[in-house]
Amino acid sequence: MLELRRITKSYPGVVALDGVDFTVYENEIVGLVGENGAGKSTLMKILIGLIQPDEGSYTLRRKLVALRDPASATRLGVGMVFQDGSLVPNLSIMENLFLCHELSFRKFGFLSKRAMQEAAYSILALVKVETDLDTPIADTTPEVRQMVEIARLLWLARLYNQRNPILILDEPTTVLTENERQTLFSILSEIKSQASIVLISHRLQEIVENSDRIVILKDGKNVTELEADRASIPDVEQMMVGRRFAADRYHEDEQVEPGDKTVLRVQNLSKRGVFEPIDFSVRRGEIVSLVGLVGSGKEAVCRCITGLEKPDSGSIALGGKKLAWGSPSETVRSGIGHIPIDRRSEGLALGMTVAENVNLLVLDRFKVAGLISPSREKRNAMHWIEECRIKSPSSWTMCANLSGGNQQKTVIAKWLSSQIEFLVLDHPTRGVDVGARDEIYRLIRKLTHDGIAMIIMCDTLEEDIGLCSRMLIMKDGRLVREISCPRFKKPSPSEIIGSIV
Amino acid sequence: MPNNVTSTSPARASGWLSISVAKGQQWLRRSGIGGQLFSLVIVMGIFAIGTKGKYLSWPNLQVILSLTAIPAIIAIGLHQVVVLGGIDLSVEGIVALCVVFVGFLAHNKFNSNDVGLWIVPITAGIGGLAGVINGLLNTKLKIPSFISTLGMSWVLWGLAVFVSKGQTTPLLDNPLSGFVNGYVLGIPDLALVAIVLFMAIQLIQDRTRFGRYLYAIGGDEVLASQAGVKVDRTKIIVFGIAGVFYGLSALFLAVRLDSAQAITGNNLLFPAVTAVAVGGVALTGGIGGAKNAALGALVITALNEGLILLNVNPYAQEAVNGVVLVTAVALTIDRKKLGFIK
Amino acid sequence: MVEVKRDGPAKTKETTTVRRKRAGIPAIYFAVTLLLVLVFLFTMGNRNFLSAYNLNTIASYTAILLVVGLGQMNPILIGGIDLSVGGLMSFISVVFVVSLKTIGIWAFPLCIVVALMAGFINGNILTRIKIPSFIATLGTGGILTSLALIVSPLPVDAPPSTYALLEVVNGTLLGLPNLLLLTLAVFALFYVILRFTTVGRNIYYVGSNIRMSWMSGIDIVRTRNFAFVLSGLGAAIAAIMQSCSQYGGDPALGKVYILQSIAAVVVGGTALTGGTGGAINTVVGALILGVMENGMNVVGVDAYFQQSILGLVIIISVALTFDRSKTATIK
Repeated sequence: MLELRRITKSYPGVVALDGVDFTVYENEIVGLVGENGAGKSTLMKILIGLIQPDEGSYTLRRKLVALRDPASATRLGVGMVFQDGSLVPNLSIMENLFLCHELSFRKFGFLSKRAMQEAAYSILALVKVETDLDTPIADTTPEVRQMVEIARLLWLARLYNQRNPILILDEPTTVLTENERQTLFSILSEIKSQASIVLISHRLQEIVENSDRIVILKDGKNVTELEADRASIPDVEQMMVGRRFAADRYHEDEQVEPGDKTVLRVQNLSKRGVFEPIDFSVRRGEIVSLVGLVGSGKEAVCRCITGLEKPDSGSIALGGKKLAWGSPSETVRSGIGHIPIDRRSEGLALGMTVAENVNLLVLDRFKVAGLISPSREKRNAMHWIEECRIKSPSSWTMCANLSGGNQQKTVIAKWLSSQIEFLVLDHPTRGVDVGARDEIYRLIRKLTHDGIAMIIMCDTLEEDIGLCSRMLIMKDGRLVREISCPRFKKPSPSEIIGSIV
Repeated sequence: MPNNVTSTSPARASGWLSISVAKGQQWLRRSGIGGQLFSLVIVMGIFAIGTKGKYLSWPNLQVILSLTAIPAIIAIGLHQVVVLGGIDLSVEGIVALCVVFVGFLAHNKFNSNDVGLWIVPITAGIGGLAGVINGLLNTKLKIPSFISTLGMSWVLWGLAVFVSKGQTTPLLDNPLSGFVNGYVLGIPDLALVAIVLFMAIQLIQDRTRFGRYLYAIGGDEVLASQAGVKVDRTKIIVFGIAGVFYGLSALFLAVRLDSAQAITGNNLLFPAVTAVAVGGVALTGGIGGAKNAALGALVITALNEGLILLNVNPYAQEAVNGVVLVTAVALTIDRKKLGFIK
Repeated sequence: MVEVKRDGPAKTKETTTVRRKRAGIPAIYFAVTLLLVLVFLFTMGNRNFLSAYNLNTIASYTAILLVVGLGQMNPILIGGIDLSVGGLMSFISVVFVVSLKTIGIWAFPLCIVVALMAGFINGNILTRIKIPSFIATLGTGGILTSLALIVSPLPVDAPPSTYALLEVVNGTLLGLPNLLLLTLAVFALFYVILRFTTVGRNIYYVGSNIRMSWMSGIDIVRTRNFAFVLSGLGAAIAAIMQSCSQYGGDPALGKVYILQSIAAVVVGGTALTGGTGGAINTVVGALILGVMENGMNVVGVDAYFQQSILGLVIIISVALTFDRSKTATIK
């Protein structure tokens, strides 16, 4: 009943979708899988009208549509539950449910609380939420929030008289416990009788178990489509990631053998409810890749290493010296750097110049008679701009004016220019175009030559394999497997993915 | 917090009394004014003891109510801007302008105008218009509310002084005089007006779409806009309402003093902001309602009146207010949610 | 591979290009242009505007405003605000004069130290007790105002025996009024701190992106405390300067400076949200206000109207200089 044909969408430097077809039938659950960058989110955004395709057709219930904005999609019964959630935190469940569509509850100019409650109860019953309606969203669990968003979409479809609405769920299970996941899927199969659901998830187990049909995307193109009961997880994995390895993509020839000296030693590190005691160490020049689904605990491990979070037990030692907890300034001073996942909000001062950002950690070095020397500062900035090949009109250009890739290089330069021994890289090439990506890989290799040890978390399994010399796989809070990735003898993603999901 | 707790399960009720008590407790917790009510009781208790009961005498309570009325009205107007996430510093300017107009249009000594009771809608209208301009500056010209309302305050204040040539205009036989200075069943009329206005605004906040939009914007403006809330329009209306309230306050002040001068509005701003903050309205937005603003005004007035009664050094009044303000906010601010405070 | 994109509805708009455009022209150009336009207009209105005598008048008025504005600039740069400058100025003013009688020249350092402490307390209420600076300084301002009134409910004159000490501000050095030299010194101090010291630079980093600063190891507690200490310093020096010029202290001295100091800072192009702007912006801002104040008199604008025009200029100036590309929402 919903059909996207030959959808193409490009951005400067990258083709997000290339002639993709996507169909949703009535009363079904469609699983949509693919790696990061495969085009899933772009496709879904087009589906709900958030962006428009460059080419292709969108047919809904046998009529061609052109959605201007998400509101039009809502009116047609197509809606999406985003991963971050789009509920206003200080409003209650009931208020969020009906936000901006309260007209039907008006009595003499005022909203009838009773009418709203009745409607709320009936729709929330569908999703089995029994929490007090007046609870502010900020005080509810992610599970409840998820359900409220689904309920809202269902209700809006009802309001606009759209039969069989289409609900898109973007990674609904990442923040849920095992029990909550079961509940979610049982509810979804009930809802199936009156709606269609598009399920986006990296947990192939769930997709295979709960969808009717599975659509696989890769590199912006359709790979295939299969009936879920005929699909096996290994097959799906293979189709998702299997591709011949471009050996020099990650400058594999530059991969160095780790030195003998241990730079970072993590012992018995744990955080209750997030990850169990974990031990590992990283040597000079070594790149260790930390891999796992969201919820595996790997992000928390890195946050403990960079001092953003306090663990409950264990120790982290850099060069033999134990580090203090929960203080970024301590860890930075000791020599640990951090390339954060969100460079705009955590990596840079966008309103300040490239030079100012690059020199942030090392201002003391430019002091002459106690005052910062502008010429020395500039010299340092220019040096690193050149080293890292940051494309910027000048050293005093505002960072906000740089492209994503160059912004990321600025972040890297900032840490490089201070004498770090250890670097944590959190998705270093996210949102970076292909050209800059290559330069970042080159930089990372250079770092290893200088003896800097690293922990890295990448966007794709392939990137993790390509860059690291050793991979640690985490699942459900435990370190489950350690794989060696020597150069020229790299394992393939399909060999590994089983341990992850 | 348990997910599946239903709060209305009559099966477990052991009588309407326990239900009411439970509901009362829940309301208190939810409403966010528990702390303020508690501190009000404490404050009044302290003064009662200190003045050997005189503080709680009926005439004194009447004085407190009478003194609270106008700051409460102003606070109720102001707090909605704060809920949006902004601030309204234009109180003094709008009041000055409206007072001057009252002096010009109501029956007065210097000219032959006498608009009688029309002065009420006229003053409200002028205040509202000024408020709407505030809103336009903020939404259409995208000037941060701190500056736009500050600038407006100066502009209007100057205008007021200019129009009135700095003179004080005595009012004559004002039809509202009896009302403004009168009592109903022992309660000052103005206090009743404040109560009515508070209930009206609280009702709007609880039971209308507009109220929802107000809090949605305060909670997360971007998300609210995406959900379909007409952000600009709501903001302009909020500023407008604030202006109307300031205008009414100006009228009452002038009538009470039986004279109109531009400086009537001076020194109204900081007490109003203090009242709003003490009452529990978060400066960051999205939290707090009319009851918080009104209660905050009551607490501050009760406090200051008590200090006077106890013959505390009048110069210490601001210090006490300052301490109360910081303490109140320290106790009520929800630090978990705020991230980095500025 | 098995990563999740945190792509919520809020971040999907393709507005990065829009964001970049406005960031081009620094606010200072607008501010300076406005200043020149004003000077031009006033000179057209009255030739004497640019006379040496008048320029001196402007300078004297602007000096005090500039000094307290330079102090206020620092909390604003880190994204906060200092509403206690008024109370502090009043308090220092009376304490200064009163202590002149008893401890003579030691009154100067005493007042400075007291003000630094007040600033430090302001900073800590924000950084340790985590109360927004708007509220914290509103409260401390009230306390300081009260203290000023308790020390001296009425303006107090400096006894003639202390006039010699007042020469520090009132006298001249090499033909130039000390007042202006002091102002210049204060400006130089703040300029150097902000531009050439690590802690000064950190003020910008914190104001621009506090989370990033924290994650990069900057001591945000120390930086922000320092910003408020600087604010106290500015207020104190301004109060001392004013008290010297007026040969007396006034417990109501500071009231008008609360909002005026903020105006001086933002009119010059420093954003209330922090991270951009600086000492030169504040100079331009203070000059704009000073030129307005004086110019309107010289040109003969009705005294009563002046406040209005001042308000208009503030609104216009911020409308021009506020960089909207940096914030998603205007509050």
